[in-house]
Amino acid sequence: MQGSTRRTGIMTDVHRRFLQLLMTHGVLEECDVKRLQKHCYKVHDCNATIEKLEDFINNINSVLESLYIEIKKGVTEDDGRPIYALVNLATTSISKMASDFAENELDLFRKALELIIDSDTGFASSTNILNLVDQLKGKKMRKKEAEHVLQKFVQNKWLIEKEGEFTLHGRAILEMDQYIRETYPDAVKVCNICRSLLIQGQSCETCGIRMHLPCVAKYFQSNSEPHCPHCNDYWPHEVPEVFDPEKERETGMSRSNKRSLRSRQH
Amino acid sequence: MLQKPESGALPIPQAEREMDGSHDGETQPLTASQEMSPEEDLGAVREEGASEPSLTPKGARALAAKTLARRRACRRLDRTVAELVQFLLLKDRKKSPITRSEMVKYVIGDLKDLFPEIIARAAEHLRYVFGFELKQLDRKHHTYILINKLKPIEHEEEALRGDGPRLGLLMMILGLIYMKGNSAREAQVWAMLRRLGVRPSKYHFLFGYPKRLIMEDFVQLRYLNYRRVPHTNPPECEFSWGPRSNLETSKMKVLGFVAKLHKKEPQHWPVQYREALADEADRARAGASVRARASTHLW
Repeated sequence: MQGSTRRTGIMTDVHRRFLQLLMTHGVLEECDVKRLQKHCYKVHDCNATIEKLEDFINNINSVLESLYIEIKKGVTEDDGRPIYALVNLATTSISKMASDFAENELDLFRKALELIIDSDTGFASSTNILNLVDQLKGKKMRKKEAEHVLQKFVQNKWLIEKEGEFTLHGRAILEMDQYIRETYPDAVKVCNICRSLLIQGQSCETCGIRMHLPCVAKYFQSNSEPHCPHCNDYWPHEVPEVFDPEKERETGMSRSNKRSLRSRQH
Repeated sequence: MLQKPESGALPIPQAEREMDGSHDGETQPLTASQEMSPEEDLGAVREEGASEPSLTPKGARALAAKTLARRRACRRLDRTVAELVQFLLLKDRKKSPITRSEMVKYVIGDLKDLFPEIIARAAEHLRYVFGFELKQLDRKHHTYILINKLKPIEHEEEALRGDGPRLGLLMMILGLIYMKGNSAREAQVWAMLRRLGVRPSKYHFLFGYPKRLIMEDFVQLRYLNYRRVPHTNPPECEFSWGPRSNLETSKMKVLGFVAKLHKKEPQHWPVQYREALADEADRARAGASVRARASTHLW
């Protein structure tokens, strides 16, 4: 600390355990992150006051900076939940998956990724992905096998499946943001409001601009006559509700039900 | 290779010197060396030190170039150390030992003469930032593993779930059991879950394989009891609350949960409500007697 030009955070066992567990989970929702933080304090320093989550994470990130990784915060594209993942600040980011999957499996993911990015809805159908099985690098893969691999991707939170179609999990968007922008610079879509990478969202039927569902929710909050921010035409889609963590806790286990009700709007 | 944009990040050795480099006798000491001198620019550094301060533009340019080259080499070394840390963490997740040749092949590349330096610094990061000790398994074959230095916690996974989806599912089952008079037939449990779109052997994105979660995990963790109902043909099995459920929740809490689900008050079910009240009274009495016993022990 003496003579440093920049204040670096201090790591204690509270922070180390937090990092270890966050790494194990890959990605966590904010409510689980808060619980995780509480757990780590309870185990290692139960008398300390629990630091505000934002400061806690910034502290850890200042230490992680020299390792070119950081705890990044994002938002799920379908219902605006805050999520956290430990991401690599380098560009070659299918690398994290590389340790868990074989060459042909990684190539399947790349093919699915490309279909998702090229699509209009942000979803690629199972059929279309499986039809590319013959083009995969590495060991030959049958369609039946490929179906299991796709499920593995879902299990490991790289893809989300909805009614036989696949899109990117919030984790993949967080981790591969830079990689995607660099690899598919022409096909990539961007949200008109937050300027971040957009996979799923709503689009204006007149001028074609796109917005994330949670961005739509915030932008048009309590606006009974929503209009496109770009061309001012009437906004034709249903405006979702802004995510409210308090309301979520009350209703308990309704998360899985809510997901099945959500429909895609393009 | 990593391509972090210029950010004026503090050079690693500064932070490292602050660290307590203690190692217990069992582990192979992997001390971080204090000097950082990338071989390729060693010549430049030595020259820099030996040359006199030059006032000519040419001399100043030469000095600036050497400084830049040295800084670039330092940054490259930093990045390699960072990549090695990430590589070791990823490899360790699969629980297979990591060999020196793998590290050189995938990460270190042509800086392999600086391997001792690089691995020492990586080890220090792993220890300080993550709480892992990098231990050399085999001096002859140069294989390494990571050991977790943080104290182990039993059932950490479960402690973290809190009111997450898996315990939410458990609450549904505990609710059903309680409302059915403190035991529910296996068939009834699966019927209720089917209505929620949960099938025993179909992989579920929140619960994994429900059958395994309920029949194995919940039973092993003592959240549920599972037993054969006597004199049934074909044989039927039933669930009841396990001892852990009684410790971690209560009839009143579960009744409250069920009531909320149905958007009613707990009193809507008078039989269960009375039973829950009695249970609360028992718990209060038990709590009081424990406290009474404890206070007598103080003397």
